[in-house]
Amino acid sequence: MSLVNRIVFAFLGLALSLSSGATEAEVVAVVSSRCPESALSRNQVADIFLGRSSRFPDGKLAVPIDQAESSAARDEFYAAFTGKSPAQVKAHWSKIIFTGRGQPPREVSNGIEVKKLVAGNPAAIGYIDRKLVDGSVKVLRTQ
Amino acid sequence: MSHRLIHVALLTIALHAAGARAQEAKTPLFSFNGFGTLGVVHSSEDKADFTSSIFKPNGAGYSHAWSADVDSLIGGQVTANFTPKLSAVLQVIAEQNYDNSYRPHVEWANFKYEVTPDFSVRAGRIVLPTFLYADTRKVGYAYPWVRPPPEVYGLVPINTSNGVDATYRTRVGDVVHTLQANYGGDERSFPGGGTLKAERSWGVGYMAEYHAVTALVTYHASNATLDTLKPIFDGFRQFGAQGVALADKYGVDNKRFEAIAIGASYDPGKWFLIGEWTRATTHSVLGQETGWYVSGGYRLGKFTPYLTYGQVTVDNLSDPGLNLSTLPPFLAGPAAGLNAALNSILSAKPARNTLSIGGRWELTRNAALKLQYDHTRIGAGSSGGLSNLQPGFQPSGKVNVLSATMDFVF
Repeated sequence: MSLVNRIVFAFLGLALSLSSGATEAEVVAVVSSRCPESALSRNQVADIFLGRSSRFPDGKLAVPIDQAESSAARDEFYAAFTGKSPAQVKAHWSKIIFTGRGQPPREVSNGIEVKKLVAGNPAAIGYIDRKLVDGSVKVLRTQ
Repeated sequence: MSHRLIHVALLTIALHAAGARAQEAKTPLFSFNGFGTLGVVHSSEDKADFTSSIFKPNGAGYSHAWSADVDSLIGGQVTANFTPKLSAVLQVIAEQNYDNSYRPHVEWANFKYEVTPDFSVRAGRIVLPTFLYADTRKVGYAYPWVRPPPEVYGLVPINTSNGVDATYRTRVGDVVHTLQANYGGDERSFPGGGTLKAERSWGVGYMAEYHAVTALVTYHASNATLDTLKPIFDGFRQFGAQGVALADKYGVDNKRFEAIAIGASYDPGKWFLIGEWTRATTHSVLGQETGWYVSGGYRLGKFTPYLTYGQVTVDNLSDPGLNLSTLPPFLAGPAAGLNAALNSILSAKPARNTLSIGGRWELTRNAALKLQYDHTRIGAGSSGGLSNLQPGFQPSGKVNVLSATMDFVF
């Protein structure tokens, strides 16, 4: 292999790893593997996390679990499911908190903690990096 | 015996609460939250004050070239979750009061009982959700502007209620419907003395939320009494049939106050468009005021420039009053005085339109900086909602107001 080829391959490899790095953190909505729900619309998920709805479509109570405020997964989840920036989500919750209508979802430190909680509670709904998914939780199909 | 009963009751509540705690996801018993605004305002009109409420004693313009009193405030809230169904909220705000003090006052204080997760009732003190941002108008962080457009928000002066309310929420398809009804009353003190009372106040509201769309329709009624004006209308009643007729027409003594409001917002994330319309009517000197605004903004990362146009039209700004020509000379003087007082109140109705340009910048995760410039044209014969009018103040003028605030939540 010529030196030129080696350099080209090295650059290609670098470019591939960079581009896969940009897409690997796919955040998915998860529920317990014991939860009867398997598909929700993005809007239904958004409503549960924005305090507009406290139920799954089947009428059962839904308990949303947030990740830490500074986490990339959280920002990505809200951008993808609600179209809101962190500041817009905060402004939204300010409207709810300061009218006594509710408190934001319970917060845990990271995706592993979310998975632990969701796995143990059929009412819980969370979001984690797809790479963390295992048999204890079920990825919600979201359209 | 009664002590023992109380002990048993307390123990039962405690055990019940502990049992409920263990089952639910850990909800803390108490949550503390706060919010605040630090702001300065300058007005180009130095012969009158620009204020954010008719209950403020002074503001920017005449009293201060730059006033920190218009928007600055700090609020704290404790929420107690006694059981998954029973909670209580206490919110206290310190801001410039009618007497120029910053003595904290209670904005919210109520118990809430969730009959089901979708149906709740509250008893105590609430802020009425008359407009899209009415019940969070003190929380600057919650909205894009320096303050909600006064062309709508200024037309319902008493927006708190001590009483009861009920809220029902249901999701049908992708639409979240919320119905709200309230009953109560409240009163507020004016800087110059006297109070405005809203008694037997009741209201209903319907809100629909669908994806990025929020729409709201509300109706609100109360019996209004403005005791400050009583001496003036008692004076009119001394002038026979024509005086009594004027006093009945304009007096604010247990008069029906009604407001209807319609509003909608579209906020897909990248930009927003908000519009609200309201009509407030009191069959009195306060008359009928119709206000609306439209506001739009575009989010460029952390920066959100916005543009707002708002307008208020009013029924009448003057009245000929008592016919002086039919009065003997010794009564014409006092009658002219009463006519002048009546007309000064009528002309205080805020006929005006305002074009605002501003920007909100997200400073940190819980603080935003805002800068807003308002250009207001005051209608002919109106003082445009300005207060502390000084000799030489010309009605029907133009006023430019510059505001800078930092809003935060914690």
